[in-house]
Amino acid sequence: MTKTQLFENLSQLLQETFDIEPGRITPEARLRDDLDIDSIDAVDLLVKLKPVTGKRLPPEVFKSVRTIQDVVDALHGLLDESVAA
Amino acid sequence: MFESLERGWRVAATGIAFTTFGLGGLALRLLYFPLLSLCVRERGRRTRLARLAVHHSFRLFIEWMRVLGILRYRIEGVEKLARPGLLILANHPTLIDVVFLVSLVPNADCVVKASLATNPFTRGPIEATGYLCNDSGPGLVQDCIESVKAGNNLIIFPEGTRTPIRGPMTLQRGAANIAVRGPCNITPVTIRCEPLGLTKGTPWWKVPPSRMNFTIVVRDDIDVAPLVDEAGGEALAARHLTARLHDFFSRETRRHAGA
Repeated sequence: MTKTQLFENLSQLLQETFDIEPGRITPEARLRDDLDIDSIDAVDLLVKLKPVTGKRLPPEVFKSVRTIQDVVDALHGLLDESVAA
Repeated sequence: MFESLERGWRVAATGIAFTTFGLGGLALRLLYFPLLSLCVRERGRRTRLARLAVHHSFRLFIEWMRVLGILRYRIEGVEKLARPGLLILANHPTLIDVVFLVSLVPNADCVVKASLATNPFTRGPIEATGYLCNDSGPGLVQDCIESVKAGNNLIIFPEGTRTPIRGPMTLQRGAANIAVRGPCNITPVTIRCEPLGLTKGTPWWKVPPSRMNFTIVVRDDIDVAPLVDEAGGEALAARHLTARLHDFFSRETRRHAGA
């Protein structure tokens, strides 16, 4: 899956789950400060991302990310790993 | 002349009250709780007895503050708290709100600041009562739900910390998430303190111009099921409920300011 596809999927998920307007979801948008995603939301998001990526994401992923682009990169990295393995 | 004397007395009295509180916490930790662990083997029973001890200590402490002339209080609807398994949400104007609420609820559970679990004066009671600590992140929501389902009356201040004196009230979404994901109905409690004292950022010795008057009102339960159905998703329901609670509690604070 390309980074663009991952971004689209993530954007869709954010709109559906948290009712965030698509215009606010940009690669630079910060999860906590701009999109008001708290740690409880992050757990929800991880659960919902599982079918998209087909992989169980470790919760640590969300500790180190700040922006949407960080999430996309983290997801991409994880998927790459599984292809290489 | 009399006024400044009275005010001076309240500064001293507040100092006395704080000292009593610390010594009480220490006494529970060094005397009562060790005795409890010796005499009561079963852990659940021990926790219940420890919580009951804190409840009675806080009742005594509130009366002590009243006798000292620091405060007066009026409580309405306390009979609504005499049910098990409640999620009690309250606004948080002062330092002693939790002392009031626990003094009204014999089987209270609460979420405490992690730093209080290492403070020598509060550590003992917090360990013995098994109160939840606020440093466990998202797992805390699940712990809170389990506590309510186990029949405890869980006290939470959705603001997370005392209301700032200036600026708007802000609510964290944790409390609403507990209600939505439980699901647990909410028993709201409004706390008014006039004149306002023991607020965030004010040192304890800066006492208000006159004795604090507390009015604590237990409101009717908020049924969360319709909200959850309407929102179509827990995350959204928690957001809607937080907004509703924010309106509810801010209205009360405004009334407070205007009264």
